[in-house]
Amino acid sequence: MLYIRGEFDLCTGCGACMLVCANRAAGGYNPRAARLKVLSKNENLVNRPVLCTQCENPFCLNACPFEAISRNPETGVVLVDKDTCTGCGICVEACPDRMIRIGPDKKADKCDMCSGDPLCVKYCVPRALQLVEKKGAVIK
Amino acid sequence: MSAYMGKLLYIDLTSGKSKEISPSPALVKNFIGGKGFGAKILYDLLPAGTDPLSPQNLLMFMPGPLTGTLAPAMRGCVVTKSPLTGTFADSYFGGHFAQEIRYCGYDGLIINGAAKQPSYIVIDDGKVEVRPAGSTWGLDTFSTVEALRREMGDDSVKIACIGPAGEKLVSFALINCEYNRHAGRAGTGAVMGSKNLKALVLRGMKTVKPADPRKFISAVDRAYQELAEEETIAGFTTDGTPASIDFANDEQLLPTLNYSNGTFEGAAGLNAVAQRRELWFRNTACAGCPIACGKVGKISRGRHRGLISDVVEYETAAMMGSNLGLSDIREVAYLVKKCDALGLDGMSAGGVAGFAIEAFENGLINAEDTGGLNLKFGDAASVDYLLEAIALRRGIGDLLARGVKKAAADLGGKAADFAVHIKGLESPAWGPRSVPGMGLALATADRGGCHQRAFPILYECGGEWNGEAVDRLGLKGKGEIVTYLQNYLAALDTFVKCDFATYGISKETYCSMLEAALGETWNVEKLLLLGERVWNQIRLFNLREGFTRADDTLPKRFTEEPLPEGPYGGAKITAVDLDQLLDDYYRERGWDSEGRPSEEKLKELALANMPVLVQKP
Repeated sequence: MLYIRGEFDLCTGCGACMLVCANRAAGGYNPRAARLKVLSKNENLVNRPVLCTQCENPFCLNACPFEAISRNPETGVVLVDKDTCTGCGICVEACPDRMIRIGPDKKADKCDMCSGDPLCVKYCVPRALQLVEKKGAVIK
Repeated sequence: MSAYMGKLLYIDLTSGKSKEISPSPALVKNFIGGKGFGAKILYDLLPAGTDPLSPQNLLMFMPGPLTGTLAPAMRGCVVTKSPLTGTFADSYFGGHFAQEIRYCGYDGLIINGAAKQPSYIVIDDGKVEVRPAGSTWGLDTFSTVEALRREMGDDSVKIACIGPAGEKLVSFALINCEYNRHAGRAGTGAVMGSKNLKALVLRGMKTVKPADPRKFISAVDRAYQELAEEETIAGFTTDGTPASIDFANDEQLLPTLNYSNGTFEGAAGLNAVAQRRELWFRNTACAGCPIACGKVGKISRGRHRGLISDVVEYETAAMMGSNLGLSDIREVAYLVKKCDALGLDGMSAGGVAGFAIEAFENGLINAEDTGGLNLKFGDAASVDYLLEAIALRRGIGDLLARGVKKAAADLGGKAADFAVHIKGLESPAWGPRSVPGMGLALATADRGGCHQRAFPILYECGGEWNGEAVDRLGLKGKGEIVTYLQNYLAALDTFVKCDFATYGISKETYCSMLEAALGETWNVEKLLLLGERVWNQIRLFNLREGFTRADDTLPKRFTEEPLPEGPYGGAKITAVDLDQLLDDYYRERGWDSEGRPSEEKLKELALANMPVLVQKP
């Protein structure tokens, strides 16, 4: 199973990841419309990418009263069933990183890993975002 | 649908009211955005002879139609009439502020009038408000950003602000666009201060949509590819602009001790190697830029330990370093950051400090003017003192706050001989004595002493033009090079490019991105015509303000004092040389011998009888 990992030491804060994501998610460019964000701290000394890590125990999924959120057993990606979602927003409050939100369609909206080939990773020139195996070899 | 947001926001600070203006189709077609919009709007709305620090001056923030999209390395510019030069002024800034203007739904902000009390503007997704600046007035730029973020309860708002220098109307005050990104040159911060405007705070939710999204992505992909394949770009990514310290030092172009020399024995203390050792942790980039020429880090030893510093980019490393005889990058980083905090343009500040120290050596300024301090080259304490005195207008700082041109006129005596400026704008960090094409570029740049309107040095120092080697010290053909570069770059400044990306992205790819974004045909020829139109439009503005051929000149230090040593020892651009360069350049431009565009030229550019396109709402 794969997820997208973000590294603060490599992220330049250019935000290309958010632009390509927003364009796919909202049909236009604005980082605020993206499904990930970059938090800049200490006069931009630190840019910390915040992404949906497709949690093993997703709070958003647990919180949903309508069972509209599920985890694909093969890919591990946590997805919203737009037909079942009522847009109540309980999942939004559940995620500590606010990686799920109410989208332009008034339904819950989150990172779907672009069906396995994430655009944010593709456009990350400094390689701060990487598609990685969720479970590496456990050392301890 | 196209990448335009379709609206300009006009804010009158005197009444506190704002209004949306739809840019006319003729404005959009002929001027595109950025520098182009600024040039035409300033010409249309600003009566000749307006005092730059009066409420009647306009302060504009202009992104371009590619700003805020995925097109790599796009920025914005501030356009106004400069208090330093009295000319048209456009000052470019990176960061994220220009993008946010577009996300707020605007292709530009036009600010007029002056607030009755210190204020700041909030544009929150379409809602415009003028609020009292309260306790932020008087704060440095870093503290201002922090205070306003706190007030908004949101760290993601985008802020442009002035520091104490802008409030006190220092002629070379800057506008800070978080953090080490500024509309630095020509005193835009003083204009903002004269309007009692401390800051603009933006938050926008609108998206920017290219006319043809698929074509746009493929054009952007090509631009990314070109940037990835270009060696010069890789250099910017690895070393940032300080790599130019070595180049300029080798080529005798590095301003040293107020431009008295072109090489500096302490250059190795300022270059990329020194900066990496003393400052850098990692790369940082402006919005949507894969180059990342910024290198942020922390000083880890010495008296400035703990100071967070972005890259000390070439211009300030040279102007505050070699030009002042300083070779410890930690001291220079501290001084440059002090400029940022006070809201002073580090380039002009370096020029002014160099001038002040030389004036001190010549007895035109003495210890009574400096609170007992002996001003010396190679002495960080002298510069530290001067920066604060200038920003707060204390003692001799009050005189120096007006820039070297006016300070020299006031000091009298020999002062004008070593006041290094063009049209009042302190010269950039490229001493031109052994590169006459660069001299011509400086003499004819629209906003005064500026290296960004054309940079023929790259061709003069071992390059080719039209397949032929360029004669570095020769005068012939330099007019053509300068004209071409000015036109091309003026065109790219309408949408609004970053200088560094132009080393990688091809002309054709810029055209493809523009085509897909705007849904119309573009080619290089059309691009050059656009640039020439904008350049001539600005020339008309400056002519209307009374500038003539006599102002297209160079400081005495470059025309009368030769480089003292080295392979180019003896080189200077004499008054006779300059006349020949100007004749050639004016001819190339289709201007008369006084530098006025001919009627035919104006017709060719659709500027003859061009009506007023923007009215005061």
